[in-house]
Amino acid sequence: MIYLDSAATTLQKPRAVGEAMLRALRTMASPGRGGHTPAQLAGDTAFACREALCRMFNAPSPEDVVFTMNATHALNIALASLVKPGARVVISCWEHNAVTRALRFLGAEIDVVRAPLFDREAALEGFRARIPGADCVVCTHVSNVFGFVMPVYQIAELCRDNGVPFVLDASQSAGAMKVDMARLGAAFIAMPGHKGLLGPQGTGVLLCGAPSRPVMAGGTGSESRSQLMPDFLPDRLEAGTHNIPGIAGLLEGVRYLERAGVEASGAMERRLIRNLGMQLRSIPGLEVFLAGDESAQSGVLSISHESVGSEELGAALGALGVCVRAGLHCAPLAHESAGTLERGTVRLSVSPFNTAQELRRVPALVRRSLDALA
Amino acid sequence: MQRFLIMCRSLTYAQRAASALERAGITAGLSRAPQSLSVNGCAYCVYVRAERLSPALKVLERAGAPHGKLYRCEPDGRYTEVGA
Repeated sequence: MIYLDSAATTLQKPRAVGEAMLRALRTMASPGRGGHTPAQLAGDTAFACREALCRMFNAPSPEDVVFTMNATHALNIALASLVKPGARVVISCWEHNAVTRALRFLGAEIDVVRAPLFDREAALEGFRARIPGADCVVCTHVSNVFGFVMPVYQIAELCRDNGVPFVLDASQSAGAMKVDMARLGAAFIAMPGHKGLLGPQGTGVLLCGAPSRPVMAGGTGSESRSQLMPDFLPDRLEAGTHNIPGIAGLLEGVRYLERAGVEASGAMERRLIRNLGMQLRSIPGLEVFLAGDESAQSGVLSISHESVGSEELGAALGALGVCVRAGLHCAPLAHESAGTLERGTVRLSVSPFNTAQELRRVPALVRRSLDALA
Repeated sequence: MQRFLIMCRSLTYAQRAASALERAGITAGLSRAPQSLSVNGCAYCVYVRAERLSPALKVLERAGAPHGKLYRCEPDGRYTEVGA
């Protein structure tokens, strides 16, 4: 099997991730509940994970690191904290449904910055024109469909200059490239734990730099007499029992990346996907969405064939043991922006566990799939 | 050995305080706060030896680690609030 769906979830994880999860199941209870050893162990693990994430993302302090179920959950909290009905929210044209549906749910006026794929200058100019007077800006760091790396540091700077809160969706960049909260000055940064951070499914993180509003209420193990949610983080946003096996696994994923180096790991992924894209370009009828400027693309690549449907190609590759994701990738806005809304694309995405050797086999398998479907 | 309790609003605040103290070489224990001091229910505290209280408070201030009231643990089991 060649696993190329890491933009959805990384399948291969460091060995320590699973081991830590099993250890947590056997030895840990709930943090902030009992005072006994299993509860303390759980608390220590959660705090170690907050500290590790705080270091990795240069967040203000460990209590500003909030555990969520996934990036969507984190984005929903961030947007509920900042967006009131009728608020004008500026977004890029590469956003995922986790942003667009959440904004629609909140009754926001969505103002989309449209710019050509892989054109960072045009994107920046679009944001420059729309940010003044906006109530909030939300931007993905990397398109989950095309791997387009957005100029988020410059967009964040424009937000700061105009006093507009900035929310970063780091779903595809966390663990694969530098995400610096202090440098961004972001109000919130949302990310999954189960993609680039190499943790298990069911984990997500919200980094908080602005006052927040809970989307869930309940027990926090603190100020229990009060019937209001605490006004301090992380308790304010963490009602209910934590996913401690997940957090224990996430901690090991983050530790692995700290040792390997996020930027080195991400650079390797970009090289792999670039080489693959160059090889795929020689296949007749296949459109390969490869950036001219290699720094504008992460380890995510979309392809589309002129006469073979994306779902059919994805299924044929799956039958040959190549795991990809076909269709619209929960990002119809991104497909509309790239002109692929009707046909969709087949997405190939890598992780630090993919090798050049296995990727060299992919072009031949794509040809074989297309031949079989022709 | 006389001890002082440094109250914290949540487990994470207490962990952050204990972590800052440990990094500064000050031994600190962390536990759930005594019932009589948990006015709002479910609080946490960090305890340090009496002679380490003053440097501990300086470390917490430098680290920007928020904390609540301070209590001296009396030999008879009571807690007496003290000023910083």
